Amino acid sequence: YSFSVEGDAIKVYVRVRPPSEGTALTDGDQGLCLSVLSSNTIRLHSKPEPKIFTFDYVANMETTQESVFSSVAKSIVESCMNGYNGTIFAYGQTGSGKTFTMMGPSDSDNFTHSLRGVIPRSFEYLFFLIEREKEKAGSGKSFLCKCSFIEIYNEQIFDLLDSASAGLFLREHIKKGVFVDGAVEQVLSSAAEAYQVLTMGWRNRRVASTSMNRESSRSHAVFTITVESMEKNNDIVNIRSSLLNLVDLAGSERQKDTHTEGLRLKEAGNINRSLSCLGQVITALVDVGNGKQRHICYRDSKLTFLLRCNTILHCSTRLPGVAPNLQIKLTFVAAFLKQDSLGGNAKTCIIANVHPGSRCFGETLSTLNFAQRAKLIKNKAVVNEDTQGNVS
Amino acid sequence: MAAAGGGWAAACEKFRSARTLSAVESRKDPETEPYRSKYSARALLQEVKQQLSAAEDCGEARLLAVRRAVLEYELGVNHTDTEELSAGEEHLQRCTQLLEPHRLTRDCVSLYIQAQNNLGILWSERDEIQTAQTYLESAEALYNQYMKEDGNPPLDPSEHFMSEEEKLTDQERSKRFEKAYTHTLYYLAQVYQHLEMIEKAAQYCHTTLKRQLEYCGYCPVEWALNAATLSQYYLSKQCFMESRHCLAAASVIFSQAGQVPSAEDSETEQDQQDLRQRKAEIARCWIKYCLNLLESARKLLEDNIGELDPDRQLELKAQRKKEEDEKENGRKKAVLFGSSDICDSVLAMEEKVSSVYPLDFQEAREIFLVGQNYVQEAKEFFQVDGYVTDHIEIVQDHSALFKVLAFFEEDYERRCKMHKRRIDMLEPIYADLNPQYYLLISRQLQFELADTYYEMMDLKVALGNRLEELDSHTIKKINSLAQLAIKYYELFLDSLRNPDKVFPEELEEDVLRPAMVAKFHIARLYGKLITSDSKKQLENMQMSLEYYTFLVDYCEKHPDAVRAVETELELSKEMVGLLPTRMERLRAKLCPFI
Repeated sequence: YSFSVEGDAIKVYVRVRPPSEGTALTDGDQGLCLSVLSSNTIRLHSKPEPKIFTFDYVANMETTQESVFSSVAKSIVESCMNGYNGTIFAYGQTGSGKTFTMMGPSDSDNFTHSLRGVIPRSFEYLFFLIEREKEKAGSGKSFLCKCSFIEIYNEQIFDLLDSASAGLFLREHIKKGVFVDGAVEQVLSSAAEAYQVLTMGWRNRRVASTSMNRESSRSHAVFTITVESMEKNNDIVNIRSSLLNLVDLAGSERQKDTHTEGLRLKEAGNINRSLSCLGQVITALVDVGNGKQRHICYRDSKLTFLLRCNTILHCSTRLPGVAPNLQIKLTFVAAFLKQDSLGGNAKTCIIANVHPGSRCFGETLSTLNFAQRAKLIKNKAVVNEDTQGNVS
Repeated sequence: MAAAGGGWAAACEKFRSARTLSAVESRKDPETEPYRSKYSARALLQEVKQQLSAAEDCGEARLLAVRRAVLEYELGVNHTDTEELSAGEEHLQRCTQLLEPHRLTRDCVSLYIQAQNNLGILWSERDEIQTAQTYLESAEALYNQYMKEDGNPPLDPSEHFMSEEEKLTDQERSKRFEKAYTHTLYYLAQVYQHLEMIEKAAQYCHTTLKRQLEYCGYCPVEWALNAATLSQYYLSKQCFMESRHCLAAASVIFSQAGQVPSAEDSETEQDQQDLRQRKAEIARCWIKYCLNLLESARKLLEDNIGELDPDRQLELKAQRKKEEDEKENGRKKAVLFGSSDICDSVLAMEEKVSSVYPLDFQEAREIFLVGQNYVQEAKEFFQVDGYVTDHIEIVQDHSALFKVLAFFEEDYERRCKMHKRRIDMLEPIYADLNPQYYLLISRQLQFELADTYYEMMDLKVALGNRLEELDSHTIKKINSLAQLAIKYYELFLDSLRNPDKVFPEELEEDVLRPAMVAKFHIARLYGKLITSDSKKQLENMQMSLEYYTFLVDYCEKHPDAVRAVETELELSKEMVGLLPTRMERLRAKLCPFI
């Protein structure tokens, strides 16, 4: 009956990409909006005062892919082998190097490329560890790896491994917790296979181009590998299972994405669904209700649902001074964190990618703010205690 | 002139196409090019605009200005829709400038209001809510002024590019105008919410809902859910009459949803499921209503040890009688939803449950029964398989309903049975629940089970005290209840340990009070255990002392904690002082010669 009160706080890594060649030449040093001060601090040249941010790790422009993998993902993959759940979030504006960090250079076979990203390296390392473990234990131990790949777009869950599937649903099981009902699970036998499945699904994601930004992702994508190990010791069978979640959050510039809007008033122009966010406004009013018992009807948001299933974080994610659009993403992160970290058995990190160009100042600030806030998310529990009760 | 006329017809045609592209076609745009139709619409609008400026010299100045304003408006909306705010702002500003002198006239007022609505949206997108507020509030004022001074159904902006025979009826004009104003109120509701002017926001939400009903611009399910949610706001303000009105209206309007199958999409199984879920959600709002009403009444009626205070009861009954005589006309007209026939159904629905504080068991029971019915209804959809969290929350509410009903029950035996019902519903769920995924709920259940056993034990002790002498059956009962209470408190305290099973040096703020109360109650429980075996009694006292000591020591080490457990701490200190002496005496009795 023991579980931790407090999950590990999220580890936050920030990676600064080099400016694209053109901008560096024309703008010179003046064109940069930030400088990396040390391996864990970064200075943003904001006005009037520059702002210093501290993170668990700051990768500057020269940091290699291998080094990013070692400091970010290696320990997470290792703990996954030890029965812990691990989650890696990627966050950042389009063009900030998110895909490069996670997948590797585009338009090439990332899986063998020397610049391949965190994900292929994680797969390699995971299967390397599995093989090593198998050799050590001989026939007594076997492994089963499965993966699923879902996308949350516009409040709906889609299965990226089954493009024919309609929206899927989140459900809860009294013993197993929250799960996506009906998501395809594919058995994996090697790292290369895992990577193949991932890239295939990745192509099914919803991206869009507008005249303002060329291409950006409007969805959150979650790639999950389940590692199950079975060990036979005489007559006792020991089964252990853990999850590795790789989460790609919707591009941070996609403010218009479903609930990520900040202060914007929701338009009612649409003929069919007029005044559709009145409910959200009312919900917000009810939310403030000073500890009174009440029921909030709106849980259409899959993210919110995930959160509610994991009620523990409900309060701790309401961080004062966080803009609502950040709040939603934090909420999403928090939902994952909590789901995993209950047994004190989860490792979570966020890789926040930023572009150093001064033109990206606004986005970079918002990304750094997000990353800063994410560090504060902790796993907290609240007990409804009736304080009216008499003590005599 | 004929050529100009022909040109005008073409311009109207283009304008119409642009509107269709923007409003209808754009919804079918592929996800990879979300603004394709909007961009085409924009091109058309610009063509019309050029045509107008070419024709500048021939027309009447005012007419031309208004037409231009319409185009500026459309272009403004188009640009903001496609995330080009600055351009959008310029167009909208030009629109309002052109209209400024005529804004109170019949052909301009609606357009002016809509332009201001859109400027409000635009500024909110720039996170400048106060600027948005000024535009919207001025739109609101303009509506009121126009209705006061003129009041005739104004022209719809689209009519400026229509031929005479196409022009709208007054009824349609009025409908569109009112809709634009409803949107103003709806945006203001959001503005006030963002500015944390909660009460005002609630009032504007309420008015928006009311107007939706009046002008039939609503989807029943959505409306019902909004009204039900608003009822929960009123609950937090202890406005039970308003809360009940919203809920009754929600239930009435929701029942319309089932009757009118939506024409567009045939009812799939998913839709049915959604409908059932919404119904269950509304039921859950009703449960909270009953629960809050009962609990507020309890708070009014209880004395300083949490029992029903008969003097207070009489006093409140007399006060209510007086108020009833005065009231009757107390209901505020403004809060009422719906026109006559809806209103009648809502009133009929309201009559099924009271909105005044129950003051005795009978009255409390009626509210309890209503709540319990809604518990059954909610559970039909939120079954444990698939909806673990929701299901358990509903069961917890059911348990809370019993708990507060027990407060009104004067007979201790029957009261005890009510608590037993709570145990019977909570214990099996707790046993099944995997705390790895549901830690919070698991803790809540542990604590509530512990508290319930604790309460039952207290009742048994009170019953026992009425007897001449405690019989062995009662003693057994008291002891077993106390042991069970201890068991669940301990489970709760264990859940706070870290993976290495160590109890935290410092408790997190949100579990501080529950943990301390658990420790304190365990201490008391050991003190209550009845045994004739003096050695056993000494052991129990020793346990008691340890738990009291924990409280005292903890608060000494963490002075911040004192505030959370003042009463408990005081009593604990007292016990830590007393117990050793008592134990000494007992020891002396046990071994009188040492």
